[in-house]
Amino acid sequence: MLRLHGIMGRADDRAYAGRIHALEHRGGIELLFVPPEDAGRKRFRLTTDRGTDCAVSLDRDEELIDGALLHLDSDRAIIARFGAQQVWRLRARDPASALKLGWHAGNLHWRVRFEGDHLVVLLDAPLATYRARIQPLLDAGEVVERDHV
Amino acid sequence: MSRLALSRVDAPMTAARVGIGGPVGSGKTALVERLIPALQARGIDIAVITNDLVTAEDAERVRRSGLIDPERVSAVEAGACPHTVIREDPTLNIEAADELERRFPGVELILLESGGDNLASTFSRDLTDFWMFVIDVAGGDDIPRKRGPGVIRTDLLVINKVDLAPHVGVDLARMQREATDVRGGRPVLLTNCRRGEGIEAIVDLLEREVLFRT
Repeated sequence: MLRLHGIMGRADDRAYAGRIHALEHRGGIELLFVPPEDAGRKRFRLTTDRGTDCAVSLDRDEELIDGALLHLDSDRAIIARFGAQQVWRLRARDPASALKLGWHAGNLHWRVRFEGDHLVVLLDAPLATYRARIQPLLDAGEVVERDHV
Repeated sequence: MSRLALSRVDAPMTAARVGIGGPVGSGKTALVERLIPALQARGIDIAVITNDLVTAEDAERVRRSGLIDPERVSAVEAGACPHTVIREDPTLNIEAADELERRFPGVELILLESGGDNLASTFSRDLTDFWMFVIDVAGGDDIPRKRGPGVIRTDLLVINKVDLAPHVGVDLARMQREATDVRGGRPVLLTNCRRGEGIEAIVDLLEREVLFRT
């Protein structure tokens, strides 16, 4: 177990660029992939893409960011990478349908944001489980899926 | 400002924060009462926050238990659905945890017990580093199959009151298997909190996942 506490900086900070570039050539970069839904944790245990068991803790006022440099020595750097946040964009056919969609999204406690006339759902679970909740609206054409990424 | 006051303000907040959620009557407070001595026996410095709807019932129960210094038990009154203060706006609980860390600088682990809720109840990652969801066999062996967010997303699913299984017609092995299946193999542990069975396995997991002792 490699015990890591705190964020040293960003992997692309000028202060670290030379050392990280050198480590890249020697295969010394390890990526710690953090699921987006877990990014708020202040203590977690994950394994890097090269198999290093990392026990990570942050101060309560520290926020983990994509690209955070968590460890740097002469042999390796460990960098946090977020998996991309999966989203699902929806558009309602008319105001009545929008009311229904809004009711469902609120009642189901979905995390959402708005993009123009689209409701963007931030997914914390497989898309199918979200789709099932409003399947009748989708089948009736009251709500249209634009895309999911 | 005195040096002591400065150090209290500036001390980093590093205690692991562990949530305990689950339906009404599943045994959350009983689990807390078993975890306290088990954690203390391993030399872990702890504090507790309980959440109730409009009273401090659970906090008083833990304070009176004699298991822990009553000063280390804080109460949060949700005043609304319990999930609102552990997920949508966990500010009250974050402040309660911060205050415990300020008052007890060596604390290593804070247990946050939610008020009894439904299968959709989950904890915000802003509040907890790890959370467990407690169900019990008497609530029905179909609960895991219903795939509630609490059951699916929790870091650890605890199935409590396993001693009651034969009395309520529950096939415990099948219930555990189905729970493991719907959770994609993530941890499911069995407990009988009345007798203290299964508690050490939970402490083992906490030591590894958030205390980094093993």
